[in-house]
Amino acid sequence: MKLSLLAGLCTILLTACSGPQEHVPDSVRIRWDSDPETLDPLQQPNQSSSDADNLLHLSLLQIDYAKSSYSPGLADSLPRIKLVGDSLTLLTYCLRKAATWDNGQPVLASDVAFTLKLMQAPGLANEGIRTQFNFIQELQPDPNNTRRFTLVCRGQATDFAHASGDFFILPEAALDARGTLRRYHLIDLINRPVNVAPDTVLAALARRYATIAPGQHPERLPGCGPYSLVSWKKDHLLRFQRKPQWWADQLSPLPPALQAHPSQINFLIIPNSASAVMALRRGDVDLYPNIPARDFNRLRHSAKAQQTLSFYNTLSHNVVTAGFNTRRPALADHFTRQALALLFDVPGLMNATQQGLGQRTVSIISPNTGRNYADSLPLLPFAPSRAVALLQQAGWRQKVAGPAARWTRQSPTGETQQLALQVRYRAEETTFETIGLQFRAAAAQLGIAVELRPTEASAFTHKLQTGDFDLYIKSIMGNPYTFNLVPILHSEAVGAGNLTGFGTPASDRLVEAVAVAQSPAVRSQLLRKLQVLLREEMPMVPLFFQYNRLVANRRLQNLYPSSIRPGYAAAAITWGPRSIL
Amino acid sequence: MGQFFFQRAGQAILSVWALASLVFLLSRGAPLSDENLGLSNAAELSNGTPASAQARDLARQAARQRLGVSEPLFYFSRQAPAPGGGPAPWQWNGRRNQYHRWLGAMLRGDWGTSFRNGQPVVARLGAALACTIPLTGAAAGLTLWLALVLALALARRPWWRRPALALLAGLQALPLFVLATGLLLSLANPDVLDWFPVYSQTVDGEGIYALGSYLILPLACLVLTALPELTLQLMVSLAHELGTGYATTARAKGLATKQVLRRHTLRNALVPLLPLVADLLPALVAGAVVVEFVFSLPGMGRLLAEAAANHDYPVLVGGVLLVGAARLLALVLADAGARWLDPRIA
Repeated sequence: MKLSLLAGLCTILLTACSGPQEHVPDSVRIRWDSDPETLDPLQQPNQSSSDADNLLHLSLLQIDYAKSSYSPGLADSLPRIKLVGDSLTLLTYCLRKAATWDNGQPVLASDVAFTLKLMQAPGLANEGIRTQFNFIQELQPDPNNTRRFTLVCRGQATDFAHASGDFFILPEAALDARGTLRRYHLIDLINRPVNVAPDTVLAALARRYATIAPGQHPERLPGCGPYSLVSWKKDHLLRFQRKPQWWADQLSPLPPALQAHPSQINFLIIPNSASAVMALRRGDVDLYPNIPARDFNRLRHSAKAQQTLSFYNTLSHNVVTAGFNTRRPALADHFTRQALALLFDVPGLMNATQQGLGQRTVSIISPNTGRNYADSLPLLPFAPSRAVALLQQAGWRQKVAGPAARWTRQSPTGETQQLALQVRYRAEETTFETIGLQFRAAAAQLGIAVELRPTEASAFTHKLQTGDFDLYIKSIMGNPYTFNLVPILHSEAVGAGNLTGFGTPASDRLVEAVAVAQSPAVRSQLLRKLQVLLREEMPMVPLFFQYNRLVANRRLQNLYPSSIRPGYAAAAITWGPRSIL
Repeated sequence: MGQFFFQRAGQAILSVWALASLVFLLSRGAPLSDENLGLSNAAELSNGTPASAQARDLARQAARQRLGVSEPLFYFSRQAPAPGGGPAPWQWNGRRNQYHRWLGAMLRGDWGTSFRNGQPVVARLGAALACTIPLTGAAAGLTLWLALVLALALARRPWWRRPALALLAGLQALPLFVLATGLLLSLANPDVLDWFPVYSQTVDGEGIYALGSYLILPLACLVLTALPELTLQLMVSLAHELGTGYATTARAKGLATKQVLRRHTLRNALVPLLPLVADLLPALVAGAVVVEFVFSLPGMGRLLAEAAANHDYPVLVGGVLLVGAARLLALVLADAGARWLDPRIA
């Protein structure tokens, strides 16, 4: 009995002691840290969900990772732009003739019109996308060409050229075969009161969509993307299979944004980074995006790892920022904010949190954006002694110089203000915690009391929006296309996206002008002015931009490491010869 | 016995209902952030045009309606305080409240749908349990068997007793995360011993058994964590029973210590162990979040931890209900087991 048990255990161990699993040739295995939760094209709650939907569906414009810009996807070219008066923009698109759904039916303007209406229909999980695209108020089909149409957009901005083409086009025939939505005008759906119950047609559409449940069963909603989902084991694995005959295969030359090489793409969900590193080393994973800086550096300097792995490092558009609550009387003047900004030891923080893999910045505009970046501004130094001088300039006084004495000043109304700060950041974010600790140590040297308040994720946003903080530390996620800073800098956005509460008539005018700038040159000029103003007023301290770090099997090619999330082009990946290893 | 069982089962059902209601009311009382409602973070730069404050308010309202959280929480609630001060008046909300709807749905067997992805809660819990139960079940079975064998051997005071006790004490002091990471970094590491896989793929239709040898390390973690407590408790209990009169009598009649242990003292020694064994049942259902996290297993522990982190209340309440029911059932079974093992327990 004992002998057979021992033999059984030995067999299991021997089976276990096998090498990495064999996988389909040309397939790629990519590590994700969490499940996408839903693949509903109307609702992408996280990056994984967005990446997966990009394999199943296509937009009018797709991101060309090689150029880090939008290029035609379903549309045959970038839109033709026409401004009408000072409040409307017309964008004319034409769909590619080759573009078809899986059943061979062509992708038509009517599908685009249907998708726009679906994005505004009640009872669907489309609240996020609804607010994002309600600037498109009408689709005017071309009576002579079923593939050509014009989008009528409210307002005028350079962003519209790409923003108007960045949503997945869905098949009308699969969701609304009888064309019941055609009787509605898009503008009526946009302006429809929320508290009015939907009529029978809209209610039936919502029920139909819920029954199809594309979020959980994407196979029921055929897309015109290059892949179909063949397996989804929640919190474990997603497997996408290349369609044997995809419409874009007949395009010549194949546009870079429509490349789809791997026969299979597997996303392996490995939440623990240490396990993911082991899986990468063992060859169970081919690509590990967004790897922690510590692991990236360790692997990069390991001779053994270098034999099988390649390392890529591109500047992202995520800027780590400290923001002041300018509504607090103690932080209402710019001298105080400028003084406190000098207490961040940015080079030291980059070494401590990013292993040196970051880029210092003078503003929240990425240094990668060329002439938009105000490179004439000097980087902020770590200068506690200059901070003392600025604090004194702001009217702050210590009874006795030294770390034991507190800073106080008299407000215009005669009240005594004390300089003590409460710093909020998301709990369990070690980068932000390290920044908070360094700031507290530097402030303590000057006699400024700093209390660190790590805060749970959802409570964090609420606390910042309601102004329950003195200083926050967070990263702002940007992208290379969006320069509309109204949501985070305009005074009308206080209580929502403008967390610092900062906003003057001059800054508001500049932010508005940037948003509606008609030419890149004018926009750059305005952005530079805005950055100078922000440096002077210092509502927030941009500390450094983070890098997108990728580690991949050495044989993987055409990754297109990019500053744009997710930082690589999954569908473009190819395998190089085995001799590379 | 039957009356006792039904009485305890009735108490257990009431307790589970009270527990689930409490979790429901506490969790739904917390405000849902924009991210929880499926809206983008207003403080991020998103593509498309930024939404106006009014548009965001309307979107929030629509999302709350869709998720069923726009109604009052309970049968009565407190209104906003009057502008002039004074205590806020209470208001009767009738049956149009979230709790009433939830309770009615639960009684009909409808556990609701996930806020995050619209999937039925029962399906989510079912899929996670299909991964968790085989793993934790196997771990519990193996642990009990090993604890029994080890405790019986240690009770005979062999020469290796001291090092074995030291090892068990050391294992018990080791946090599960350290143990799991240690096993991973030592036995699945190309730089040390590359014996075990770090990740194993299964596709739709394949159960957790398809992971095969990949389960050895997670299983080892769970067994090594639970083993010391059960073994030490049983060993002490056996040693105590060996010192009693009936065990001395058995030995005086010529039985070997091994026979005395197995035939006479084991049954009595198991009684104090029952609460510890009963604790294993809810753990079977709740999963082992740390092991699932380190070894990338899609089980209940991870599901509930992520539901709590993402404020996915329907999944969270469903999970609490399930784990709570398992715990109370375990207590009832432990009571019944104790009565069976020792009829003197009234």
